[in-house]
Amino acid sequence: MKNSNQILSNIKMPFCPGCGHTVCVRSVAKTLTNLGYSPKDVVIVSDIGCSGLVDPLFETHTIHGLHGRAPALGLGVTLGLNNSNKKVIVIQGDGGATIGLQHILEAARRNVNMTLIVLNNLLYGMTGGQMSGMSTPEFKSLKQVNDTTAPYNIVNLTAEAGASFSAKVTEISKFDTILNEAITSKGFSLVEMASLCTSHGLKKVSALKNMLGESVVYKNDNPVGISIKNNSASLFNSLQYFTPRVDSILKKPLGIIIAGSAGGGVQTAAKILAQAAILAGLNATMKGEYPITVGTGFSVAEVILSKQQIHYTGLEKPHVVLAVTNEGFKKVADKIEKNTVVYTDKSMETLYKTEPFTKLAGKKGAALSAVAYWLNETKLFPVDLLLKVINGHKNEVHLEKAINSVTLETVIA
Amino acid sequence: MKKTASKNVIIDASRIITEALVQSGADVFIGYPITPSNLFYKYAKERFAEFLAGPDEISVIQWMSGYAAAGKIPVTATAFPGLALMAESINMAYMMELPMVIVVTQRLGPSTGSATAGAQGDLKFIDGIISGGFPLPVFSPSSFCDAWKLANQAVKTAVQLRTPVILLTSKEMVMTQKSFDLNNLETITKVNFEKPKDVEEYLPYKQTISKVPPFFPLGNDKVQTRFNSSTHSEDGLIEKGTANSLANTQRLKEKFETRIVEYTHYELEEEPNAEALVVTWGISAEATRDVVNNLRINNKKISLLVVKTLIPIPKIIYQIIEKYNKVFFVEENLSGMYKELLFGKFTSEKIRVISSFGTNLSPAEIEKQLKN
Repeated sequence: MKNSNQILSNIKMPFCPGCGHTVCVRSVAKTLTNLGYSPKDVVIVSDIGCSGLVDPLFETHTIHGLHGRAPALGLGVTLGLNNSNKKVIVIQGDGGATIGLQHILEAARRNVNMTLIVLNNLLYGMTGGQMSGMSTPEFKSLKQVNDTTAPYNIVNLTAEAGASFSAKVTEISKFDTILNEAITSKGFSLVEMASLCTSHGLKKVSALKNMLGESVVYKNDNPVGISIKNNSASLFNSLQYFTPRVDSILKKPLGIIIAGSAGGGVQTAAKILAQAAILAGLNATMKGEYPITVGTGFSVAEVILSKQQIHYTGLEKPHVVLAVTNEGFKKVADKIEKNTVVYTDKSMETLYKTEPFTKLAGKKGAALSAVAYWLNETKLFPVDLLLKVINGHKNEVHLEKAINSVTLETVIA
Repeated sequence: MKKTASKNVIIDASRIITEALVQSGADVFIGYPITPSNLFYKYAKERFAEFLAGPDEISVIQWMSGYAAAGKIPVTATAFPGLALMAESINMAYMMELPMVIVVTQRLGPSTGSATAGAQGDLKFIDGIISGGFPLPVFSPSSFCDAWKLANQAVKTAVQLRTPVILLTSKEMVMTQKSFDLNNLETITKVNFEKPKDVEEYLPYKQTISKVPPFFPLGNDKVQTRFNSSTHSEDGLIEKGTANSLANTQRLKEKFETRIVEYTHYELEEEPNAEALVVTWGISAEATRDVVNNLRINNKKISLLVVKTLIPIPKIIYQIIEKYNKVFFVEENLSGMYKELLFGKFTSEKIRVISSFGTNLSPAEIEKQLKN
């Protein structure tokens, strides 16, 4: 009859006669039992390969994943449970450790509270005995594989990455002791356990030890990795509401392109225009375009204004182009048609109407200055609405200066 | 009656979807940054109670699967290059029957393509992403209101059917800011896992009438539970080729068919005696709405079908299409992927595709092709 606290199931070991995995599985179960773990406090995460046959051998919770990904899956389980009374143990082979090395290093770097056991038999057993990234040159020479590439030393790698405990154990007599220390460590612990593959690899433990070397243990005193929880508020709370105050004279949908350079406030000007348009009873859309190097090059924004609901947000042929730098203008020049209304900065050499936006409002204020100028010219809605929108903005003084510069200038003129 | 004060804001669908996912009960966002899903990453970091930055997209789905197996509802957002890396792990989560939502923002491919150009080119990849012909539920919003509703539906379906779900958006939908009255968004209810009743006879992948097995998370104190990515029987252990294990795998398809009515979403504007039906989805729906409205003003009789549950294909979609002698599919990809999902490569006088590649499909272009 099954004992409710039994870690190891009564199922017959599925491994080949003499396979080292049998010894390793018994050692894991014995250590957990000795430490007093209840089966429901343990999650065994298994990989693909011969090591992936372990699930039915445990009376614990189990989860069987993909080749090489078990450490990443185990990391998710550990952080998802967020319960230090639950023990997550990941078991994989040296092939899995090779394909998923990044996952092991990430778990070690974060020092997540889990134990990874790598059953190293120096080869891919399930697919016919091919060499893995942890096969040693000595083993490859023995198997007549002409490759002297050094193996991954995952004990060194995980220790360097920040794991609390990293060990290689090549003597069966030390298995229980090392596992005990690994499982009781707080943080990420790795145990590379030497394991025989009697079908494709070595048949004697002593030979295996010659290939893998002496047992080693490294320890770090790093904090245990946890996931930080936030007290979050609705994303809508930070949005500004705009209640229509006036009725714009706009009859048909209008597309405006604002073109300038990175750092010139183009996107801000477009957003302010769109928000002010809502105050004028209009619907608005706004989107930006700039190179991936956001700190340099052109910066272009498209704004569509309409009394009707706007479905399609593309803007092939703008009605208005406000360009304040040459590189911005160059980006949008091919969209300009005969009927397009174009205003450019006085510093630019174009055949279109020019105004001294940059001179009046500076490089950062030129785009907004152009918007204010155009609004003042068209009387689409009062320029004052731009000022209402920027009320309380972190750059309010600067933005107000940009809006007023050109309108005051116009009045004076 | 007191009039509700308007809540007009400038907003994008990334913000709407992120907020909807959290209000629906999603617990954790695990992401790897990619354009044009950048805004999801930004908003998720601000909004989700738990946020993790994965080192790559394979890790992202693996971590999400771990969280899901522990009883949490995880979310990520990506684009094609990330989705391609996730494919094997999504199969794993599908086989394990783990709830999660993957937001996919389409951009212009192939390969890295143009990260900031919109497109609708990932549908067929997603249709075939699960090995063996199994459907992975896909919802595609066509408006801001859809973005809100379908994000909620994605969480609901993920939990109720124990499955990964894809919310398929596009660059233009999630990065463009629009004026919008928040009053248009209906109240969302939080989705909870149903508590299993018969603990005594619990099996991790038990065949039930609903075809959805009861869910106990890893680490629970009541029953031993097992999750398995390989072919497995009801007890969650590897089993090859047995009647039990094959029935268990086939159940993965049946569970979607059994409850498809519950998550079928579409918008149908039928015009009596219409000359044609225009079928569209996602971002193309917005331009198509403009076209249909314009044609109707000019006394053209056109019906409009906007499909929002793309996969599995609800039968009602075929039933609607069958009623028309002329059907136009409007979408931003080379071949007409949704049309191909329904009818394969076959083309006829009855079925036509209006498409574009690399540029927005504008109302003018749609109208021009409709008239041709």
